[in-house]
Amino acid sequence: MMRANLHSALVVAIATLAVGGVLIGVLPSYWIYLATAVLITAVSLLSLGVVEGRTGMISLCQLSFAGVGAWTVGYLNVAGAPGGLPLWIVIGGLTAVPFGVAVGLPALRLRGINLAIVTLGFASAFDAILAANTFPGQTQFQQVQRPEGFDSDQGYFLFVLIVFALIAGSLELIAGSRLGSSWLAIRHSERAAAAHGVGIPSAKLRAIAISAFVAGVAGGLLAGYLGTLVADNFTMLGSLVLFAVATMAGARNAEGAIVGGALVTLFPELLRRLDLPQDLGNVLFAVGAVQALSSGETMSEGLRRAFGRLWSQRAVGAAALDHADLPPRRDHGDRPVLTVRGLTVRYGAVVALENVCFDVPALGVIGLIGPNGAGKSTFIDAVTGFLPRYEGHIELHGRPLESQLAHRRARLGVRRTWQTNRIAPDLSLGTYLTLASGSLTAAQLRAALVWIGCPDAGQKVAKVDAGTRRLLDVAGVVAARPALVLLDEPAAGQSYDEALRLAKRIAEIPELFGSAVLLVDHDMDLVRAACACVTVLDSGKVIASGPTVKVLELPAVKTAYLGIDESEVP
Amino acid sequence: MNAYFTAAVTGLAAGSAYALLGVCAVFTYRLVAVVNFVGAAIGATGAFAFAMLAEEGLPLWLSALGGVIIGAAVSVAVGAIMTRWFADSPASTKAAVAVALLVGLVAVGLRITGGQHPHDFPALIGGSAFRLAGVEVTKASVATLLLALAFTLAANLFLNRSHTGLQLRALSERPVAAELIGIPVHMLSLWVWAVGGAATAFALILIAPQRAPNFLTLSLLVVPALAAALISFFRNFWSTLFGGVAMGMMEGLATVIPGLGEYRTAVPLVVILVVLLWSQRGARWDDAR
Amino acid sequence: MSAFTVTDLVINRAGLPVVRKASVVVEPGSISVLLGANGAGKTTLLEGLSGVVAVAGGSIELQGEAIQGLRPGARARKGLAHVEQGRTVFRMLTTHENLLAASQRADVDQAYALFPELEKRRHVRAGLLSGGEQQMLVIARALLTRPKTIMIDEMSASLAPIIVSRLMAAVRKLAEDGLAVLLVEQFAALSLSIGDRAYVMRRGRIVYDGPCPALAQSPDLLHRLYLGDSAAS
Repeated sequence: MMRANLHSALVVAIATLAVGGVLIGVLPSYWIYLATAVLITAVSLLSLGVVEGRTGMISLCQLSFAGVGAWTVGYLNVAGAPGGLPLWIVIGGLTAVPFGVAVGLPALRLRGINLAIVTLGFASAFDAILAANTFPGQTQFQQVQRPEGFDSDQGYFLFVLIVFALIAGSLELIAGSRLGSSWLAIRHSERAAAAHGVGIPSAKLRAIAISAFVAGVAGGLLAGYLGTLVADNFTMLGSLVLFAVATMAGARNAEGAIVGGALVTLFPELLRRLDLPQDLGNVLFAVGAVQALSSGETMSEGLRRAFGRLWSQRAVGAAALDHADLPPRRDHGDRPVLTVRGLTVRYGAVVALENVCFDVPALGVIGLIGPNGAGKSTFIDAVTGFLPRYEGHIELHGRPLESQLAHRRARLGVRRTWQTNRIAPDLSLGTYLTLASGSLTAAQLRAALVWIGCPDAGQKVAKVDAGTRRLLDVAGVVAARPALVLLDEPAAGQSYDEALRLAKRIAEIPELFGSAVLLVDHDMDLVRAACACVTVLDSGKVIASGPTVKVLELPAVKTAYLGIDESEVP
Repeated sequence: MNAYFTAAVTGLAAGSAYALLGVCAVFTYRLVAVVNFVGAAIGATGAFAFAMLAEEGLPLWLSALGGVIIGAAVSVAVGAIMTRWFADSPASTKAAVAVALLVGLVAVGLRITGGQHPHDFPALIGGSAFRLAGVEVTKASVATLLLALAFTLAANLFLNRSHTGLQLRALSERPVAAELIGIPVHMLSLWVWAVGGAATAFALILIAPQRAPNFLTLSLLVVPALAAALISFFRNFWSTLFGGVAMGMMEGLATVIPGLGEYRTAVPLVVILVVLLWSQRGARWDDAR
Repeated sequence: MSAFTVTDLVINRAGLPVVRKASVVVEPGSISVLLGANGAGKTTLLEGLSGVVAVAGGSIELQGEAIQGLRPGARARKGLAHVEQGRTVFRMLTTHENLLAASQRADVDQAYALFPELEKRRHVRAGLLSGGEQQMLVIARALLTRPKTIMIDEMSASLAPIIVSRLMAAVRKLAEDGLAVLLVEQFAALSLSIGDRAYVMRRGRIVYDGPCPALAQSPDLLHRLYLGDSAAS
């Protein structure tokens, strides 16, 4: 996975440099000057791409972070600090990071909207701070020194180009890493990300910090570009416009950022030549942003789609499976994996689970069944840590789970799938598996996908149908080889044959991967084929437990499901 | 001590404005589940419509009525966009749409109201009401505060005592179940937007003469409005009302504390940070997902 | 008055086929019971009928009029009431306010006539009512829209048998007053005893269509339809 990552990062960097190099040779000075502005805006758009495009958090103060970077460069310039602009912009970026962290930290554990409000507040406050402090060196007419050799318009364009390529390439590297996939996962569903062991506040904070850094660097670049700056360069309105442009163009990757930069810089230029008022550009950005939000697709995604090819596969067992290629079995010992004693869950006056006790033995495949409202989903939520409180004890290999948050339980060895689809569509099947299961070799990834019946690892999740995504969800938790795998209705919507095929796979899990399985479903064919034992819940209580075939014949179970008491039938 | 009290009273005018705008934001959020970043800009549209109608020679109260109607109309347009395309979208998407609309509306507003000469904002309610601690408290400030109080009382009464208010409460709790029993969900939502827009427009008509009458600065009053709304977590009208007034008075105080005067616009940020840090105590999962 | 007729309905949820060509008929003054294990697609079927989810194929006719193009509110006004599963009371409103939300007129008193238990809890917040009271409330609330056809989803879930009997008796009375009732249930026994026509759904398809008494008399058949065949696996 790392190799593919580095590869795409280099492609981005080199492509940018190549195109830029061509432009220097071809364009006259005035256009080079404008192109530099395009690139600088593109850098600030990349910062929004990290925090909003990838992690899904609305930040409305990116230009304020840029202002921090710019003012830092200004001070360093006036002080004659060593290193020159290349070092100064890095320091400027680093100076912006604490501001980002300070603003983001209070909002981390709360709903996303709160970050939008606090960043807006920061932008408003920062406007006042900038207005009260002139740019360092302005009164002495001291301009920010460009780096030696990069003085001219072409030279500075080249400098900015190199910085942009470095940043875009690095972000592409991060994007392919587990952190980058966790961002996309968080954007789509925080619960699902936590269920894979991702620490949500930590991942979000890193996104904010990196975004503030990149914005700070953009500010420093602007300082070198214009020589001297005013508060007007970093207003709250500017941050809002940047947000609209990022939403419209899709600043998640390099090409989207450049498209956005071109829009911001060149569109007003176009309006000027057509003798139209320049600020109408913002109206275009507003309309474009609303359009992108309603269609769910940004400009860069649309471009990618137009150039890419559309196909959806459900290749089942196309490649041959060599069991030796699968991720190696983990030995979790002989003790019972899960021990539940006296589990009781109340929602106000309603008792969802009452005094539930049962065990999942090592290498067992246990079914948990029951009619609707029996408490099966509540049970899974309790075990995996998605309930705020419950009574009773849950132990994993004898270790109590009570005080552990959801993502900690996942790391300790309890993984689950979800009834509704919570896999971020922008990921590829391979990246998702890596996110779910830690680092696997390419061969292991491939083998796991073939085993469960998914198409190849490079396929994007968005192109794959819902049933295949369910299978992918299962493959993800299984490939992590935890002590316990909790499957929540994996067979929903599947045909009889597909359900039976899945049942065979589930039955193989302990032998192939070493994990115990708790299967929650109401598809009786699946449960009968996969589980040696079942436990039956009804109205929150355990009413039967034992070998599958015997339990399903019990009168009490039939009554629970059908509401028919056999003794009443003549 | 006297100086502080005086300073606090000067902040009363701004505080009443924040209170009223905050209450409108809570109203909108509770009933149509949107954090209304574009609310103040909508109000600014109405306020400038008032100024321009007055310039044309219309009597003041008629111009005010015109401004209120235009504010309501723009608000309904925004609401129509929200309900038509984003009814089922998550809260963050709706917020992003509101921010985008804010950008667009400010651009259009600045274009129409900027230009050669700044608009003259006649004071709808002019003159001084009384002097408190040596500070002149204008009638407009008093009127704004009374309007905030009246709107809070009216909103509470309306929601709890009228049939439409009942339907709105049902709708905001369970939109699907409400639609299934025949409640006109779409129309009621637009109605909520209209009322919010009208109230905000009237508020800004009262406030504008006392602040720099620039479309952008009026639109950016959304920041203290949201800060005031956040004090009650967008749930309660009364705490937003008092919180908004208190915020204004804090800003007033900041002007007399040496060194802080220029930074008084940071007060909303401080309020927001304090409120968020206070509510950190329980970790919460991001809504539906 | 003609019936409520559903023909070959197809519903997909997030790309998965959840209802595969289901056909159901409900005659006025009668009760059609739709049974099936959880996950069979019953709730999705009802949601497609009332308009809460989009339908991918098939037709829905209410008294001869095709309604599949209408929004849920419009279908409700044409006389189709849908009581969702999960007792969707407006928790913050009182019992009386819940009823008023559906109708302002004096016929709220009729609701209390049907369910006198609710009268005693008139000013209690609906979130604090018992399960049985909440179920009565949502049924009464739906009736206030004066429907011709009413669909009730899993009203007996988590309720004690004696309360279920009470509710079933009330539903029987609705049918006797001329309503067409589509009752969706997981628990067969009590619903089969009051129903006229029975459907069983499995994996999105209707696998049985016949008179209720016949199905009530053959528990083996019912087990096979619900839980699958032990002998076959």
